[in-house]
Parts: sequence; structure tokens; C-alpha cells
Amino acid sequence: MSAINGKPSREDVADIPDVASRDIDTPNGDEIAAASYEPHYTRNRLRNGLLTIGGLVLLVLALYLVDQGTSVKLRQVLAMFAIWGIATVSLNLINGVTGILSLGHHGFMLIGGYTTGLLILPAATRDNLAASARSELSDFAIGLSVENWMRALGLDALATPETLWVRFLVALFIGGLVAAVFGVIVGFPSLRLRGDYLAIVTFGFGEAIRLLASTPIAARFTNGALGFAGVPSTFGKSIWWTFGLLSIAVFVMARLKYSSYGRALQGIREDEVASEAMGVNTSYHKVLAFAISAFFAGVAGGLWVSWVGTARLDLFLFFLTFYFLVAISVGGTGSITGVLMGTALVVWVRQYGDPLEQSYPLSTWAVAAGTVLLLGAVIAYVVRRHKRLKPRINSVVVTVAALGVVALLVGLFGSNLPALQNSWQGFGMRAITLSVLLIAIMILRPSGLMGRSEFSWAWLFRERLDEPTDEERGQDAWLTNPAFKAAAAEDELSDAEGEEP
Amino acid sequence: MSAISSTFARKRNWWPGLIGLGLIGLIVWRMFHLYSVNPAFNAAFFAGAFVRSFQLGSLYALIALGYTMVYGIIRLINFAHGEVFMVGAFAAYFMFTLTPFAWPWAIIIAAVVAYGFMQILNFWRGHMLDPVVLAGGVLAFGTVAVALISVKFGWLAAMVASMFITGVLGVTIDRVAYRPLRGAPRNSMLITAIAVSFFLQNFGILAFSNRQTPFRPPTFWTGLLKFEVFGEPLFTSWMVVLVPVITAVLVVALTLFVTRTRLGKAMRATAQDAETARMMGVNVDRVIATTFLLGSMLAAAAAVLWGMTFGSINQPAIFGILPGIKAFAAAVIGGIGSLPGAVVGGVLLGFLENFLTALFPRTAEFPGITEYKDTFAFLAMILILLVRPSGIVGEDLSEKV
Repeated sequence: MSAINGKPSREDVADIPDVASRDIDTPNGDEIAAASYEPHYTRNRLRNGLLTIGGLVLLVLALYLVDQGTSVKLRQVLAMFAIWGIATVSLNLINGVTGILSLGHHGFMLIGGYTTGLLILPAATRDNLAASARSELSDFAIGLSVENWMRALGLDALATPETLWVRFLVALFIGGLVAAVFGVIVGFPSLRLRGDYLAIVTFGFGEAIRLLASTPIAARFTNGALGFAGVPSTFGKSIWWTFGLLSIAVFVMARLKYSSYGRALQGIREDEVASEAMGVNTSYHKVLAFAISAFFAGVAGGLWVSWVGTARLDLFLFFLTFYFLVAISVGGTGSITGVLMGTALVVWVRQYGDPLEQSYPLSTWAVAAGTVLLLGAVIAYVVRRHKRLKPRINSVVVTVAALGVVALLVGLFGSNLPALQNSWQGFGMRAITLSVLLIAIMILRPSGLMGRSEFSWAWLFRERLDEPTDEERGQDAWLTNPAFKAAAAEDELSDAEGEEP
Repeated sequence: MSAISSTFARKRNWWPGLIGLGLIGLIVWRMFHLYSVNPAFNAAFFAGAFVRSFQLGSLYALIALGYTMVYGIIRLINFAHGEVFMVGAFAAYFMFTLTPFAWPWAIIIAAVVAYGFMQILNFWRGHMLDPVVLAGGVLAFGTVAVALISVKFGWLAAMVASMFITGVLGVTIDRVAYRPLRGAPRNSMLITAIAVSFFLQNFGILAFSNRQTPFRPPTFWTGLLKFEVFGEPLFTSWMVVLVPVITAVLVVALTLFVTRTRLGKAMRATAQDAETARMMGVNVDRVIATTFLLGSMLAAAAAVLWGMTFGSINQPAIFGILPGIKAFAAAVIGGIGSLPGAVVGGVLLGFLENFLTALFPRTAEFPGITEYKDTFAFLAMILILLVRPSGIVGEDLSEKV
């Protein structure tokens, strides 16, 4: 798991001998450098390897405990995290690594999901659909079944209920391939268009797929607005299946990111013209990125349909892509580990944010609003202090804090007011929370939590080049010179005076 | 640009006109063919489709103007524009259904509106304590408060009030979400715009009920209008007259503003080159805020007309999405960044959706293409982007795309 960290550590610099002070007798400067230089990411290999193995064992143990535990909800949430993780990691390949803003991921997921669902549908459900008068599925679509294909190939052992998992894998793979074909089709406009024009084309594609899926011609395969129920959910809700496929996706994406293909894709992100001038076939690489990303999106769509148990059009609205965008932007565009952290946050808010959307008295809402506003004012103050902006407390902070105090007072002491007797239900508060979070991230820290760097042990135990050592502190006249003490003390004083009311 | 093209006469292409003529010929042939097959598809049928297409196209044009102005100035696809449109419709709805207000609410709303109005006046006067700004604020407060307490709104008053509300909303969106991102990568701005759009959708669910709402202000314009086309009766509503007329008035007013005023000149300068305009003394932030103000006001006008045309407005979570995206497609088809382009693209999209559906109607042997018409906008947009990214009337954008 030793990923590459861009910055050289202090020891790397110190280990290279100073050329000017080198003794004449030493055989060769380069030899010394070669012998003594050790990249920071190969140092402490044993420690990092042990930590990796320990972490993986802990993860598997935790998953095992959850799997054996009694909480069905927790199991489902973890499975959903893994499914959305596959989708976000694949979207990250286009949005983060290649730098193309793609907004049509729900379209790829829809294609993969419907394909997988149709291919894996049990025979009894097929008979019901064939007999039903409301079903719009054509006979050809009803005949599309991995089970039938296995029988036709003479593999009767793979057509039994016990071997459903083999058929599910085959269906997932085919769903991914079909989505990848559409990924290539969507990738072609990327050869002519750039930037937001391409974003809008991918968005138009995603919406057009969803609108087309309910039209009479496509309804022969999708059953129109009804969709089809009865997709086996044993796999989509199984922790081992979803996390297994997630680990495959993460492995492929990580290997891809550090391969020559990944470097070419990152080159396209940084400067498309320059990378073309350096000999990168940008057309091929962009279409390849779209195809690979769409493949994994199709797999995620298949698992998502299996998680829900039905294939319906309202599973694949644009909000899906929006949540993936939130996850990617919060975690760090281009960083696989960051994207997974963002996905965890989004899934957590989605699944455990129900209290936000329940009905409370208005006084409770006032208290909540006051708390949020005061927290916002405090955070704004901390940010301004961290950025060393003056004045630390500006009109915006004062206004927000005053509004917060008013709301808090009204909520706490005004609960007898007739106007506050009604209760109010916070429909849509989860999505509002996530969109406000996304706006704040985009304004305050556009690179996300992790930026473009990956989590690694070397990164975790790295030396902080931006923090001075004790020796440097001693040399720093600024901190030791008593003449500066007064100014520093005054600074502290003015901060203390301007604290929150 | 225009000076150059008028000095040196450009060689005109002959084939676009030929293609247009050919298309019109095909359409006429198709109409006669349909009439010969089934007399139900007579002149009145196509005349009805024509006026309805023009009506829908006018609505798209009004929304598309907001997209194209913002894109022309700061190169941002304002995803939240469709949601501004939604808020405009609901604001007007509450305007003409919920009056009169209780006085505390009226005072709170009037204070907010007056503050927004003062901010708008502030664009021109430059100071909040300027006498003109203060007088405007007091006047707006008094008018809105009295109106909310006592007056019953008609559709026109509701439309104007809703235009002011969405104007303030547009300026607020720009101030809160987009202005901190000036100079940021365009993808960041686009993601922020999507987030604002999502915020407004869910805010709509929170503030307004999440169900389809009837939108029927008391007016004779939504009443029946009967034409005679070649002796065949055609029943429509007066809205087919009202919508194009109001659209024309607003478009002419906008054109006069952009071409004849100092702020309009500053706007054109900013659209050409924001940095240079800033160096020449243009207050670029103020120009951008004006752009958002005008675009959002047009969206509210379109929203009220939309609601009156169709008699109901959809759930706030989804009402803004399809009209917004289709209007964006219209702006791209016409040539994004150009005002005539937005109007041409909007009307063209209206015809594409309504008239094309009328040319291929549902018959006994053919199921019709009504179910597919929502996708025409996307397909046309993708086609235009691939063939001619600058749009039908746009300048050549191949460097910028």
C-alpha cells in the first residue's frame, strides 16, 4: 500500500552528501548518493507492510462481526456504501484522474442495472411477466436469461439454484460490458468538445437515457415505468459480495492510476495540448477512461438493482450522480481513498439522516438553526484566524452570530409563543445539508479533504516540512527576539477581546 | 467584430438556405400527405400546432435568455436557473392565492423585499445610505406591506412581484455561491451551480408542498379563443396570443437595455473581455449581478406564463429541471452567449417539440412520437455541439470550446 507521496522528506535531502564538502579521496560521489539514498516510500517497509496486513485483518474482522451481528440496517448500509463506492471510484477515473467533468454516470448505472436485472430474473418471475397483460416486455427480452444460456450450453450444473452466484457474476459482467459500450459512445464527443460543453453533453446523455428508457420501443426491454421486481437481492445486500467487488474496483483503479495509462490520463487533466505534444494519444485515452469507468458503473448499477430488489427508473435519477459528485468533491478529486471517505460521509447522511426530516415543534427548529448559525460563525472565525485575515471578526461573522443568538433565545425562551406552537417537518433536509456542504467545500477547499494525494502509511507518519523543528525554532529570530513579544502578546489580547459573545 | 464583417463583405454560404428551403418543402409535402390520408389532419390541426409551438418556443426563449446572458458574461452554465424559474412560479402562486397576509408576515416579507430592492438600487448609486436608495427602500417597503395586507393580486401584479423576488434571489445566489469562485476552475463553478440547483430543489420541497399545484389566476386570458382556418374551427386559449406578446415586449426591453444604456454597454464589454473591462473602469461584479438580476426576472415571467399556459405547476423538486435543461439546450442550439441566438433557439426548440410531433401524429398503424419528444432537446443539442458548437447564429467559438 505504499503509495507515492510527492514531497521529498527532510531526510532524503539530508542524506545526499554536500558536493562542496566532499573529500577528494572518496571514490565517487554518485556511488555514495546511490548507496545512501533511499526513497522515503521504501523506508520502513516492514512497518508499513505489517500495518497494512493488520489493517486489512481488522477490516475483515469488523465486516465479519457486522455480518454475524443482529443489525440488518447496518449490514445494508455497509453494502450500500460498497456499491456507491464502486460507482464513485469509477466516476473518479473520469472526473478526478482524467479531469473531464462527466455528469452522466446515472445513465451508465441504469444500463448496467437493467441488463443485470433482466439477465438474472428468476424463471417464476419471468412466467408471471409473460402472462401479465400490463407487462410491456417483449418475448425476446423475457427469453434473455443466463439460466437459459447455461442450459443451452449444456452446463446444467450452472443452472441450479445453488449456483445462482455464477450466473449473477456472468450477468454483472455482461451488464458492465453493455455499459462500457455506451461509455465508448459517450466518450466520442469528448474528442471534439471540452470543459463544460462536454459536461452538458454527458448530462444530456444521462437524462436522455432515462427518458428514452420509458418510451415504447425501449419498454420492450425495460418494461416502461413499471420496471420489474423480483431481482434476487442476496448479492446486493451481502457484505462479502459488495466489498469483494469494491476491493476489485479499488485495486484496478489504483493499479490503473499508477500505470502508464494513468499517467497519460493525469497528463490530459493537467494540460491536454501539452500531453498531446508529448506523444500521448489523447483521443484513445479519453475514450478508454470512459469505457473503463462505464464498465464499473454498470457493475455498480447491477449491484444497486440487486440491493433494492427491483429495477425501476426512479432509482437512476440525476440525484445519484449529484451524490457521487458530493462524495468525490468532499473526499478529494482524484484521490481514491479520499473518494471512499466522501462516499462514507454521503451514505451516512443519506441513511442515518432521518432525524433531520422528522416533525418537530418550531421552537426546536429555532434552537437547531441557532446552533448551526453559531457554529458557522465560530468556524468562520477559526478559518479567518487560520488564514490570518484581519479583522478576525468581520460584519458577516457578527451578523451570523447575532442571528444565531436571536434564534437560540427565541427557541429556548419563546416556546410559549403562539407562533411557535406548530410543528414543522423538515422534508429534504438531508439533501439540503449535502448541497450546502458541497458549496462550502467548493468555496473553502476546492481540492477536498485529501486533495490528490492518497492515504498511505508513509503519508501518515511523514515529517511535516511546514512545521519547524526545535533547532529551526531556536534559530528563528522572530520567535526568540524579545522585541517581538509585545506585538505577539497584543495580538493575543485583541483575539481574546473579540471572542464570541 | 461587427465592424469587420461589415467592412469586408463575407462570402455567404448558399447551402444553408437551400437546406432550409428543402426542409420547408418536405414539411409542406408531409402536411398535404397527412391530409390526403386522413382529413382530420386539416389546416386547423396544423395551425393549432403552429401557434402552440410558437407559444412554447417563446417560453423556452425567455428562460434561455437567462442562461445565455450568464454564460456570455462569466462562462458559467447556471444550473440553478431552472430552479429560479421554479421559485418564480411558486412565488407568483402564493401571491395570488394567499392574500391578504397577517400584518407581521407582511412586514417581514416587505422588509426583505425592500432590502433586496435597496441592494439593487445600490448597483447604480454605489452606497446604501444614498438618499435615492433610502427613499427607494422606504417606498418599496410601504408598497409591498400595503399590497400584502390589503390588495388582491391579479396575474400581472403577481408576475411583476415575482420577477422582483426572483431577481433578488438571482443576485443572492451570485453573491453567496458564485462570486467567491471567480477565477476558480470552471469545473468547480459548474459543480457549485449544480449544488445550488439541488439546494433550491430541496428548499422548494421544504417551503412549498411537494405536489402538483393548480395555477389558475382569475383572468380572461386563459379562456377560450376560437379561430377559423380555411373554414375549419380551431379552439385554443388567449394564451397563444399573450405569451408571444409578453415575450416580445420583454425581449425588446432587454435589447434596448443592453444596447442603449451605460450598464448595457458595460455588460457587452464584460462579455467580450472581463479583464480589460475591469481595467477600463467597469465594475465587473456589479455587471455580473445585473446579469443575474435580469436573467432571473425573465425566468419568473416565463414561469408565470408557463403556469397559466398549462394550468398547473409541477412538484418543486422536478418542476424546474426539464424546462431549465431544455431551455439550456435551446440556448446552445441558437448559439450560447448571444441574445438573438437564445430567442431563435427557443422558438426552434418549441417547433421541434410540438410541430414535429404534429407531423408524425398517432394513427391506427403508427404509434406517434409523443413519448419521445422530451429527448428531442438533448439529441438536437448533442448534434449541434458536434456539428457546429457555435450554434445557429453564434459567432465562431472553436477557440473557446
